[in-house]
Amino acid sequence: MTSKSVISASELSVRIDQRTILDNLNFEVGKGEVFALLGGNGAGKSTTLKTFLGLMKPSTGTASVMGMSVADNTNEVQKSVAYLPESVTLYGHLSGYENIRYFLSVAGVEKTDDAIHEALNKVALQENAWHNTLSNYSKGMRQKTAIALAILRNAPVLFLDEPTSGLDPAAIDEFNSLVSELANNGATIFMVTHDVYGACQVAHRIVLLSNGKLTGSFERVGDTPIDTEAVHAAFAGRK
Amino acid sequence: MAGIISNTIKTICAEQWRYWLRTKVATTVLILGSVLTLAALVVNAFHIEEAAHAREHLQHEAEERFLSQPDKHPHRMVHYGHYVFRTPTPLSVIEPGVDTYTGNAIFLEGHRQNSAMFAEQRQSAGLTRFSSLTPSFLALVLAPLFIILIGYGSVSREREAGTLTLLLTQGASRWQLVLGKLVALMLASSIFLLPLLLACLYVAFSNESALVVTLFCLGYALYFLLWAVVVTACSTLFEKSSASFTVLIVIWMSACILLPRMGSSVATSVEPSIGKLEADFKVEEKLRSLGDGHDVNDPAFVKLKQDLLDKYNVDSVDDLPVNFRGIVAQYSEQRQAVVINEFAESRMQEELAQARIARQFGWLSPTVALRSFSTLLAGTSIETHHRFLREAEILRMQFVQGLNKVHVEKLDYKLDMNRNSSEEAADKAVVEASNWAVLSEFSFQPEAPMARLSSAAMYCLQLLLWVGVAALLLKLAVRRFNP
Repeated sequence: MTSKSVISASELSVRIDQRTILDNLNFEVGKGEVFALLGGNGAGKSTTLKTFLGLMKPSTGTASVMGMSVADNTNEVQKSVAYLPESVTLYGHLSGYENIRYFLSVAGVEKTDDAIHEALNKVALQENAWHNTLSNYSKGMRQKTAIALAILRNAPVLFLDEPTSGLDPAAIDEFNSLVSELANNGATIFMVTHDVYGACQVAHRIVLLSNGKLTGSFERVGDTPIDTEAVHAAFAGRK
Repeated sequence: MAGIISNTIKTICAEQWRYWLRTKVATTVLILGSVLTLAALVVNAFHIEEAAHAREHLQHEAEERFLSQPDKHPHRMVHYGHYVFRTPTPLSVIEPGVDTYTGNAIFLEGHRQNSAMFAEQRQSAGLTRFSSLTPSFLALVLAPLFIILIGYGSVSREREAGTLTLLLTQGASRWQLVLGKLVALMLASSIFLLPLLLACLYVAFSNESALVVTLFCLGYALYFLLWAVVVTACSTLFEKSSASFTVLIVIWMSACILLPRMGSSVATSVEPSIGKLEADFKVEEKLRSLGDGHDVNDPAFVKLKQDLLDKYNVDSVDDLPVNFRGIVAQYSEQRQAVVINEFAESRMQEELAQARIARQFGWLSPTVALRSFSTLLAGTSIETHHRFLREAEILRMQFVQGLNKVHVEKLDYKLDMNRNSSEEAADKAVVEASNWAVLSEFSFQPEAPMARLSSAAMYCLQLLLWVGVAALLLKLAVRRFNP
């Protein structure tokens, strides 16, 4: 499955005020892999994500993306990755289209209107909503806008924070399909979630995180999704 | 690389502007601020223009009225008096400085030194006395408040809304984000600055040094930059917009309201001065000890009388070739002037010492620093007012002593002494109206540009220091800046 590691944690630890948040994490994520970090509240999922996004620095060890140490090459890494926050927070005073234009501009990515329309169509955002301000969007619509942005960034690596949280079942299915499609096209996807079912549906590999430590790992075999019951049992037991 | 950086900053700046334009509160503040500044400038410019014309007219009229007086006793002309007016400097359109409190016209007469009159604040009635909206007040006090109102949440809003993380993960650096916000706020500030700059441009063509006008503008531009930096730094430093707003309001109140007033209070405590009434009593008391210049038999003039009799080798003042009453008036006026000027000089020194202490508060408040800088450059400082008083006093002495000289030389002593015996005698104790041409032309000019620049240099340094402090604060804020 993984020919070459795109994301890796090597003896990665984060301590804040004498408190160990991440404790000696070691893992690798290959190209085109959907990797899910599963953990309960306070397990250290968000800290892991922030460390890979360059928003926090590791106390020891290394977080690498595409062979670059995130701490040493923060800007380069940020330009190579796309991030989908848990609560998609785009600008309420802008439309979905304007939000995408603005963030692309900040990222220094130039896209034609056609490309943006194509991405919005791809994420199935209704066309009549494209130019409405975000304050009129549902959570699902915001999520779709953010995914469209991630697609347009052409980023080889996507970091997703609780991506299906608050979405209705139909929207979750749509989202999972989209993630699979992106992975099939070669994108590496790293998601943190506490949604066992969602993770099993879409992930190639699930790693359990508890109290800052990796406590278990499950891999998909062929096209068969990871066994939800097994993951749930391990997750519930360790939470 | 530089291009990419500047593009990101430009994008963030443009987005901030779009946010302001789509937010009613920010748009209202921007419109209100610029309209107020513009209105204050126009009103003040019209007012000063009108006042300048009125002063010119009054000066001319006062001279004509004085010269058109009929044949009279010269001492009656001494008490008839004369007005001198000070035309405001071109930059006083923006920075009226102490002019609004000190007045710009003086009534010149014998035996006394009157205060300046027609001060804006003294002429005003009721509440308008406290609500004069000058362009400098707007720029110094209200503009920073407007900058705070539109900018306090520029960075913290991104953090609170959660867009900050997304922004940073697009590859924008912390500095790019903060500089983008700062540039946007600087541009917004320049809306308040623009009317001021236009007024300066107008002033530059009205007999004012281009260098002075340029530095005057730069002073205000630095001040606005300083506030934009402080507001952006606080918005970056504090996690919540409410905290940023609270801290900025405290800074604004301290810098713009409390410290300037504290400066004045400390100055009057450290260098106390006696009140005008008390000072007037002291002057009167001292003047009384000099004798009554209207009474030739006052014991204070015995020696003068004897010296004159000896000088002209005569036995009686009746035999003197000059009018002894005029001599006494001349002598008395000279001695009174020494006393009056001594008190006036002492009062001016006290005021100057107080002003200098108050200006030291520029090390604690940039508002005080700019106020000192702009009043000195505009020629509306207390020093300029003092020079006006001194020049007016020289003119007063020339005019009074000129009339006393006419009294000495042109009026017969005996006719003079008999003037109260009958109406006919009074009519005879006069001199011709042609003698009233004793007035020198009075044209008060502000200090030379280099002299003003030199006295304002220290306060420019205070301003620059504040800009440096603000830059360090911004650096600290960016260093501690986390989503």
